[in-house]
Amino acid sequence: MTNHWVDFKNADVILVMGSNPAENHPISMKWITKARENGAKLIVVDPRFTRTAAKADIYAPLRSGTDIAFLGGMINHIVEKNLYFKDYVVNYTNAAFLVNPEFKGPGELNGVFSGYDEKTRKYDKKTWSYQMDDKGIVKKDFTLRDPNCVFQLLKKHYKRYSIDLVSSITGTPKEKLVEVYDTFASTGRPDRAGTELYAMGWTQHTVGTQNIRTMSIIQLLLGNMGIAGGGINAMRGESNVQGSTDHGLLFHIIPGYNPVPSATVVDTAAYIEKFTPKTKDPRSVNWFGNRNKYLISYLKAIYGSSATKENDFGYAWLPKLDEGMNGSWLVLFDKMFKGGFEGFFAWGQNPACSSGNAGKVRTALSKLKWMVNVNLFDNETGSFWKGPGMKPEDVQTEVFQLPAAVSVEKEGSITNSSRLAQWRYKSVEPAGEAMPDSEIINELRNRVIMLYKKEGGKFPAPITNLTWNYGEKDADGKVVKFNIHEVAKEINGYYLEDIYDKTQTPPKLIGKKGELCASFVTLQADGTTSCGNWIYSQSYTQKDGKIINMMARRGKDDPTGLGLYSGWAWAWPVNRRIIYNRASVDMKGNPWDPKRAVIKWNATKENPATKKPGVWEGDVPDGPAPPMADEKAGKYPFIMRADGMGALFGPGLADGPFPEHYEALECPLQENPMQPGHRVNPTIKLFYATEGPGEKAKEDGGLPEDIFASCDIRFPYVATTYRVSEHWQTGVMTRHLPWQLEMSPQQFVEISEQLAVELSISNGEKVIVSSARGKVNAVAMVTKRFQPFKVMDSTIHQVGLPWHFGWQYPEDGSSGDSANLLTPTVGDANTLIPETKAFLVNIKKA
Amino acid sequence: MSNNMIKKVSGLEILVHWTMAISFFILVISGFGFMFHMEGVGSAFGGFEQMKTIHNWVGVVFAAALFLTIFHYLPVALKFTSDDAAWLSKAGGYLSKKAQLPPQDEINAGQKLLYIAVLVLGTAISVTGVIIWLRPDMANLNSAVLLSFLIHNISFVLFLIVIPVHIYMATLANPGTLRIMISGTVPVEWARKRHAKWVQKMGY
Amino acid sequence: MGRMSLLVSPELCIGCRGCQTACKEWNQLEGEKTENRGTTENPPDLSPNTFNKIRYVELPSEKNPMRLLFVSQRCMHCGDAGCMKICPAPGALFRTDEGAVAYDKDKCIGCRLCVTSCPFNVPRYDAQNKISKCHLCADRISQGLTPSCAKTCPTGALRYGDRDELLGLAKKAGYSKVYGEKDLEGLGAVYAFTDSPKIYGMSDSPAIPEAVVFWNNVLKPLSYLGLAGVAAAAVLHYVAFGPKKIEEVKKDE
Repeated sequence: MTNHWVDFKNADVILVMGSNPAENHPISMKWITKARENGAKLIVVDPRFTRTAAKADIYAPLRSGTDIAFLGGMINHIVEKNLYFKDYVVNYTNAAFLVNPEFKGPGELNGVFSGYDEKTRKYDKKTWSYQMDDKGIVKKDFTLRDPNCVFQLLKKHYKRYSIDLVSSITGTPKEKLVEVYDTFASTGRPDRAGTELYAMGWTQHTVGTQNIRTMSIIQLLLGNMGIAGGGINAMRGESNVQGSTDHGLLFHIIPGYNPVPSATVVDTAAYIEKFTPKTKDPRSVNWFGNRNKYLISYLKAIYGSSATKENDFGYAWLPKLDEGMNGSWLVLFDKMFKGGFEGFFAWGQNPACSSGNAGKVRTALSKLKWMVNVNLFDNETGSFWKGPGMKPEDVQTEVFQLPAAVSVEKEGSITNSSRLAQWRYKSVEPAGEAMPDSEIINELRNRVIMLYKKEGGKFPAPITNLTWNYGEKDADGKVVKFNIHEVAKEINGYYLEDIYDKTQTPPKLIGKKGELCASFVTLQADGTTSCGNWIYSQSYTQKDGKIINMMARRGKDDPTGLGLYSGWAWAWPVNRRIIYNRASVDMKGNPWDPKRAVIKWNATKENPATKKPGVWEGDVPDGPAPPMADEKAGKYPFIMRADGMGALFGPGLADGPFPEHYEALECPLQENPMQPGHRVNPTIKLFYATEGPGEKAKEDGGLPEDIFASCDIRFPYVATTYRVSEHWQTGVMTRHLPWQLEMSPQQFVEISEQLAVELSISNGEKVIVSSARGKVNAVAMVTKRFQPFKVMDSTIHQVGLPWHFGWQYPEDGSSGDSANLLTPTVGDANTLIPETKAFLVNIKKA
Repeated sequence: MSNNMIKKVSGLEILVHWTMAISFFILVISGFGFMFHMEGVGSAFGGFEQMKTIHNWVGVVFAAALFLTIFHYLPVALKFTSDDAAWLSKAGGYLSKKAQLPPQDEINAGQKLLYIAVLVLGTAISVTGVIIWLRPDMANLNSAVLLSFLIHNISFVLFLIVIPVHIYMATLANPGTLRIMISGTVPVEWARKRHAKWVQKMGY
Repeated sequence: MGRMSLLVSPELCIGCRGCQTACKEWNQLEGEKTENRGTTENPPDLSPNTFNKIRYVELPSEKNPMRLLFVSQRCMHCGDAGCMKICPAPGALFRTDEGAVAYDKDKCIGCRLCVTSCPFNVPRYDAQNKISKCHLCADRISQGLTPSCAKTCPTGALRYGDRDELLGLAKKAGYSKVYGEKDLEGLGAVYAFTDSPKIYGMSDSPAIPEAVVFWNNVLKPLSYLGLAGVAAAAVLHYVAFGPKKIEEVKKDE
């Protein structure tokens, strides 16, 4: 989240699109309700009339997978009707940047941007560049009139998203579109704030990243980024998914969102050269210019004294990707399916039910020699070998079940969607043989090291050199009592030497050797500091010699009344509650809206750090530099971007600098109504294709398991999956709980009354839902919550089903199996997040 | 049988009468205990739950006894005679010291009325009692239960009027009556004063 | 202590049913074996193991596919409680200091008359034939805690507090109808409505069944009065007329 949960209460308009907070994030509704009580308007855009929609001031239906069309229409509306926040757009976004005149959009090139290569399904982004002046700084036209400036290109690109066309793509009635657009665009003023809440309804699409990008553009146009009650807020689906992502859960990042290098990035110098963004603009902070400090401090944290200047801080031990290698979910299981792995740790997950195309995953598990299932309960993954359609005698996979302690049985931090790291305490001992994850890993590490000692092995250094100072050790070096506080301190980082600020004379002591780092600002690139994750530096710190666990703080003061609660726990980075908050003030540092002042520049008060007048008050600002009006020292607000500006034009993504509507891989339309050239996102990885450029994937060994069916009369209905309040994820934690199960006992499929009439299905009747990949039994819930869509002059039915169920529990099988047996093997062009929110199915009476 | 004694009721009738009387008192006392939350009554019955069980089953006994009375009294109670009319017109002679009644048969109109009242009220209170009792097995019969509850309690109140009258009549108002329900016999002369016709019929 | 109560605001309720689970957790009630009957609403009804539930009320709407209301169903803790009125077992149903209608299963005699007398069809009986229903977490509130359902409610749709304050709150928030303010001497669960109670599936004017009221107000006193009246009449009669003396009827007349 750019903002935080409590901040929802500050909004004037809340757009819920791609999420269903009343059902999946009920506590967020506390703050949404507060906002509504203060007069805020709640807009819900969803294919289904959800429990959130029941609370909405405006509900607009849209067909699954058409969010970009919907939002593109909003951009067009905002720009054409002059509803954007001009000062903000001109000064804080890249609207004025002049783009390479060679750049062309999908309106001109039949569905693709300039630089597309059909063979590789990738873009050469050469033309997605800016015009530079002779100092190497981007040329700008602050009048926004230059036809090559970002603003004009944006306008041109989204002019194609007329209300009529958008309505015929999304199936949303035109008057609803206008109502939503006008209401949300009403926040394009300094004294109004609009926020957006999304979740998997936006990410789990082949255009997932671009769904969010589209909204970013809207929020920048309306000046809603950085302000209280604004922002784009990803409501995480699990309590600590933010924390796990921060700490390098994904294959392509190491902790702190630094890239995982490929093998061709041979040393730290090459890494720093490759991954450090550069700018020649002196007014851009370009915070990632500090990447070298974070990398070296990270290496020092994980390899300790073994990491020396001489051995390049152990960089060679860091795992590398092969060039162009993708290690994301779908790719991993594809490789597993093809026999590419011997073993697999399923740690706190249930891919046999949670994965897109779960049937393929179940088969893939049977190709393993061994699997370790670490979970609170046995699940459909651990017991896949005795699941439906499996012949246990034929499955050679040896499964080890390791019971894990549940969150209340262990101490540690969790980080919620607000980036808020909160320390939690153990309330009860783990049940039975269960152990906290940290202790399971401790055991694992000890045994691996013992094996290396006994048997040797290839390249043991990355493991044997790992620091492991997590508590008292026995003679063999095994930690006997694992102390999670030591892990938290290692993440925060230490001064390994006395650190001086050498810019001052005489050099001023920043930190004493052996003490915990004050924050990432003090980290060094020469190996004199360690830090396990730079964004968490300051979370467990030391002040005047005293060690403070910032995450354990429980301060309840709220001096601004905005609900920042800066003394409650600790948020990364450096306890900032609203990021990009430098954009919440005008060029002079005065808040756009004095009633909702996140930060404010006090020009007369002395800054304790510089001993000069001029200091930011309120939330922790995005950098201490004075406001932009200060011609010399003033800095651009978006400090994490090399150019310091909010990106209307985003050349960083794989599928285009402006989001463009493409249909889902499985869609009911023959053609993309935007243009006939490309129905689906041209840059997605196709595991299997039945037509067009995807033939190559088939030749390359596309699997029948990955088959899909577009515009196919066998599967005429658009389907989506979702969660309900009563269950959590694949239901492993809730299906075992009779209190939850009684409320939602069985797999169901929601269908419209009209479709029910067509299929002669009555409410509560048992049906079979099938896709090109599998089928599930479900109870038909005939409801007005789904209404048929009018799309391109024809009627399209959409249905929806939750994915909480599985064959294993309840034991009588009454709940039915996972809805993910239906979903396709295809993912977002940038992240490869599976597209489970839009696919095609058929429904028949059981 | 002694020459100057006449058999008025059978042993069975005596048994039935006292069965009803005793059960009636148990039911009334426990009924009051329930209605007015009389803790002392409750504990005398071994707690309210046990009191409920006793009330219910004693109610069954009462109902059974009531059922038997049908054979004894109903046919004659339903026979309305001119003697009855006369008896009624003079209110049984209870409201005047001078009233002269025609000779009465075995059972006079007042007794007939009492019996009919007991039968009607007893049937009502028994049937409704059973409905209230068995309610657990009758779904969605709330209004039936409510009506039963109402009838049960109205019957209760009426019983509390009828039975004391009966007791008064059988004791203080007519000394010597009580022995009928003890020995089953009364002196012929005593009977002749009250049921002359019957005594005559019986050949005395 | 002033009377405490719940304020139920369907407008704020999101139908998450955390209250259902929280209730079962605190009161350690068994989960029921249910099935999907084509609706989100489950369990189908209050039961000995379900003290509260959210009813999903679907109504027609002009601008949306439906108007969906979430209404909490539970014991209303009536000021004039039909169940307490009719209950024949002293102490089985009782009013707590906070104003809740609580019960003592040990004293319940299983007669189920409370079921008959409840204007809201709330009491249920467990396998031991003892009353089971919401008791406003009497064990919690007596310790100054909030009832489990209200404690867990994320949006304030269920609020617990001083009854007068909650009524003030509901009125200040501009709800057109505060349900249960006066009915039955004031409900212990008052509802903030924006529409007529019928819309929410509630009776406009809840009342204890007339039969029960008649019994309580008339028959109960009458049972004493009748008895006493007959006794008095007998005494009067005895004094006025004395025992019946009948002239001997001549045998040969």
